[in-house]
Amino acid sequence: MIALSAFRLAAYVRSHRVHQALLALLAALAVVYATRAPAGHEAAVLADSAVLIVPLLAWAARSLLDTEPDRQREMSAALAGGRGRELAAGLLAALTACAAFAALALVWGVLLGMSATPPGPVLAAGIVLHALSALAGLTLGALTSRALLPSPALSIMALVSGFVAMLLISASPLHWLTVPLTVWMRAASAERLVAQLPELAAVSLVWCLLGLAAYAWLRRTRP
Amino acid sequence: MVKTTMRLTDVSFRYRRRDPSVIREADAELSPGDVVELTGANGAGKSTLLRLLAGLLRPTGGAITGRPAAVGLAPDRFPGEQPFTVSGYLDHMARVCGGRWRPWAERLNMGQLLGVRLRELSKGSAHKVGLAQALMAEPGLLLLDEPFAGLDSGTRDELPPIVAELSARGAIVVAADHQGGLRDLPSLRHWTITDGRLVETTPARTPVLAGKLAGTTPQGPAEDAVGGIAGEPAVTPDTTATTVGSPAGEAGGRAVGGSADVGVGVDGGGVAVEVTVPAGDLGAFLERMRGEGYRARPVSGEESR
Repeated sequence: MIALSAFRLAAYVRSHRVHQALLALLAALAVVYATRAPAGHEAAVLADSAVLIVPLLAWAARSLLDTEPDRQREMSAALAGGRGRELAAGLLAALTACAAFAALALVWGVLLGMSATPPGPVLAAGIVLHALSALAGLTLGALTSRALLPSPALSIMALVSGFVAMLLISASPLHWLTVPLTVWMRAASAERLVAQLPELAAVSLVWCLLGLAAYAWLRRTRP
Repeated sequence: MVKTTMRLTDVSFRYRRRDPSVIREADAELSPGDVVELTGANGAGKSTLLRLLAGLLRPTGGAITGRPAAVGLAPDRFPGEQPFTVSGYLDHMARVCGGRWRPWAERLNMGQLLGVRLRELSKGSAHKVGLAQALMAEPGLLLLDEPFAGLDSGTRDELPPIVAELSARGAIVVAADHQGGLRDLPSLRHWTITDGRLVETTPARTPVLAGKLAGTTPQGPAEDAVGGIAGEPAVTPDTTATTVGSPAGEAGGRAVGGSADVGVGVDGGGVAVEVTVPAGDLGAFLERMRGEGYRARPVSGEESR
């Protein structure tokens, strides 16, 4: 499975698809961190960064999963020993790419986006939020990948709509019905991020795992 | 290679809930060493059946059991739009399955292709890459979709012996092939898909005899195989003769292997068949014949006719 993940990552990089999400991410970070945030606003900056990158990470995950031609995906599944291994290898490769991009955003924010170094608990919360962001991006990207949505137009619309829906629902009283992105930002602005993190992380994790389970279930009939 | 019998039991498949079934209630059995030529009209469901056999699709009805662990799948059109050279791609695939691709690349005449980018390959060259990746895992089940399409004559000639070797080692080979490239193989079975129904048009136990015939004449589809092998005897100096006695109740023996010279004689209620195979294949040949219930044994030069 690791070898198949490496193959898919290599194809993602060698095909230059990696540059699409990377350049968009760099542009977004350059704008967001054009001025350093004043001391005391570190949590808010990190939460904003984690939310901002979700659609870009989803785009990266979708792009990586779509790099492999459909027929190659079938051949890979046969060689790797089954569809389950092929599916897991694809998700692992996409998660690796998302994690790398999320780490880049985090490091950029800490080094270039703040006037002061964030306190330890805030930095830890920022790392957790960026990890959850990578997972949310992976889930949204997988659910909009070509295996499930063959039309590129429908796929990209579903990706953007999915992100907007997450923002709108999480801004409502029903925020527990999705990954609560807006609540991440609100908690950080109110300096309650560290205190609320266990609850927010649990809800976010559950929705990501449900989304990935849905992806695996839908792929049963879509090799 | 773990040798298992693969069974299709009432297998049906449709792509969407309200669509008609592409495959309907297919029942079949595939024993180690079987080579099947699958035919049918365009859109009849041949590729769908191959994907079901590979485990890439789940039957909507029935079950497929006993699938070998190692499966090789060569598609009819290799997806060349990938950012690798041929050798780079095959290296990746070898790491995925733990196989070796260089021996297969040599046999498929791919030496001059190894540094070429996949997207620059001609159709036939890309097809060779697809075959190499399917073969490298030493598959227990090899699925070939139009394996001869676009191949040069040298590679076309090389493919049937490769299939015969894998068969002799116990692999199951199913080839959707309109060009009849495997029809010279003496052990070939023939499946046809018509209106979603899978029909075996050549009985699995039909004796396929070639070379020196005594006292009997092959009937039906076996005649194709006779013509093919008789015109191209491939008995090499390092051959060993064996006899294969048919089990009770069967009319004759079935010869397998890519290069075989066969004689037959009627003995009481059964038929004794003398088969000459390359010495290196003798063990596998005897094992397979005995596994199928035939009384197979090596014979000395004096016994041999």
